Amino acid sequence: MTVLPFAWRSLVRQPARTSLGVLGVAAVGALLFDMLMLSDGLIVSMRDLLERTGFDIRVTASGDLRRAGDRMHDTSATLDAIRRLPQVSTALAIRFVEAEADVHASTNPVPEGATGTIALTLEGVQGDTRPWTVVTGRDPVGNQEVVVSQALADTAHVGLGADLVVRARCAARDQVLPPARLQVVGIAEFPFELVGDPTAGGPMNVLDDACAGPTDEADVILASARDDVDATAAAVRDAHPQLNVATNEQVLGRLQRNGFTYFRQISAVLTVVTLAFALLLITVLLTVSVNQRLGEIAALRALGFSRGRVVADVLCESVLIVGLGGLISLPLGAALARGLDSILKTMPGIPGQMYFFVLEPATLGQHGALLTVTAVVAALYPMQIVARLPIAATLRDEVLS
Amino acid sequence: MRAIVALLWLLFPASLVAQAADPPAVLVSRQAAETLHLSVGSVVQVGPPDGSGARDFRVAGIYEPTPDPSRLGNAIYAVRLHLPDLLAMTSPPDAPKGAESVDAINVRLVPGSDPLAFSRDVNARLPGLAARPATDAGAAAGPFRVLERFHLAIAIVTIIASTVFLVALTVMLVDERRETVGVLRLIGLPTSRVLVQVLLEGILVAGVGSVFGLALSLVSEGLINRFFQWRYDTALLFVQVTPSVALTCVLIAVPLGVSATVLASWLLLRRNALRLARR
Repeated sequence: MTVLPFAWRSLVRQPARTSLGVLGVAAVGALLFDMLMLSDGLIVSMRDLLERTGFDIRVTASGDLRRAGDRMHDTSATLDAIRRLPQVSTALAIRFVEAEADVHASTNPVPEGATGTIALTLEGVQGDTRPWTVVTGRDPVGNQEVVVSQALADTAHVGLGADLVVRARCAARDQVLPPARLQVVGIAEFPFELVGDPTAGGPMNVLDDACAGPTDEADVILASARDDVDATAAAVRDAHPQLNVATNEQVLGRLQRNGFTYFRQISAVLTVVTLAFALLLITVLLTVSVNQRLGEIAALRALGFSRGRVVADVLCESVLIVGLGGLISLPLGAALARGLDSILKTMPGIPGQMYFFVLEPATLGQHGALLTVTAVVAALYPMQIVARLPIAATLRDEVLS
Repeated sequence: MRAIVALLWLLFPASLVAQAADPPAVLVSRQAAETLHLSVGSVVQVGPPDGSGARDFRVAGIYEPTPDPSRLGNAIYAVRLHLPDLLAMTSPPDAPKGAESVDAINVRLVPGSDPLAFSRDVNARLPGLAARPATDAGAAAGPFRVLERFHLAIAIVTIIASTVFLVALTVMLVDERRETVGVLRLIGLPTSRVLVQVLLEGILVAGVGSVFGLALSLVSEGLINRFFQWRYDTALLFVQVTPSVALTCVLIAVPLGVSATVLASWLLLRRNALRLARR
């Protein structure tokens, strides 16, 4: 009989112990799997979101993320100048304002009891393309037309053709302007829509009307490069040295250094803790198991099993426990990640389409490699016990006991 | 009254500015002082980002900014100066008297006053102002409440894994003593008597384990805080083993350990005494 089936039989002989060992590794492995997904999850997710928008460069007044920093002025002139750069393919300016809508103020049929005020973000766009993807309906073109996110459509009970009455806060948070009646012409996907902050978007003049006049301001200008992104960013920077110009990679780098570093740190700490825990668990399980079978192992040696063979048997037991636990940990970890993600998604300022736990092929490889190392290291001490086992003395002690 | 000026304001160290006759005093944040090599007595120029209206100030002290979780990872470059000095720099020269504005006014009530009632009163008497108790102004704590729930979820998973580990360990340890237990049964000790012994052993082991765990957490508390305070250049406390946390840990760990021991022993004691003694 080869080593692996033999090790399997040794484990099956003690089903309770083996099951508990496998379950323990599965629980610890699930946590490890989640921590590996968490370590780069936000960055991977953010990169995906940035790439999905189709823009390579972000131009802002202060370099802050949206709504946190100052607004750019003379947006039309700046946007035109950027679009005229030969390296730039497309560009658009976006301005965000906070607004509120009274569900019952709408003319739409509203389910009974579904009344009240909802907070939303009104997004005005000026430029070649749109930062959203229309799912149903069409892009807004008229003065009063907007597209809304599915979240806003659900919350405000508005569909295609319905009216949305909003009151914008354009200059200050406590400013409330007269209501503006907008018409919903489409449901769109807004990649950076925040959880709990539904969005409506339209041409900049819609926003200007809601704000009771044009301001020619923007929070961000997005641009896509014809060719080399860094060279294009440098050209924009040279043309507008007073503005902050960042490529997607630079935005990600900044987030990696500041915004998301906490999750990398906690992921690293918990990865170490879970691995140490798994190591301890397997080592104790195997050591106690081996100590209880010393007589049996000595008998096998006396029957002709080589030292290497019995050592390999212990190693295989470790590999089997960790392997089985590791396999179970994958679906367990995925389910746990979904739960943890839903907890973290309640954090303010997180886009709804961003995920804290992202599975990449490399994560599976890392998980497997770490568990393999754990299995081998955990087996070292019991392997040493088996390798140094004095056959005759052990058999004599066994007979006497 | 002092005002906090954000890091957007320009700070020039003493060597760059001419010495004023008797410049007014400012406090400089530790991070700004370290970066600009300032010390008490240095003269700095403070002004808006465009440099207009910048004035000389003498550094009267260096302060540690109040730890702010929402600004984690960002060094706090700030100066604190008297509000009249700030208004003198920011107000247009032709601004009428009384047109100055401030972002917020902090009010300390006399002991025993009801902050909620006071804020309601202010809101009613002064339309256009929004007053609220300081305890309600913690919107920035939102992310940390979420992190608290996240950590709780992680802790629950860890407790589940620990429980499995503990049960596996106790099953093996109890199994190692099956012959001893079998002999005890054969000499007449009832199952309940053996279980009481196991229970007492379990309490002792779990108690010692909990104390060891608490000692370990106290040591790691200092290490983790020092590491993250260094990493983020902040005075925030990241880990704090409070008496209630310690008590919660003990209240979870000891019953868990005792239950695992008793459960494993009970599973063993159900067997026939002769089988236990391998006779």
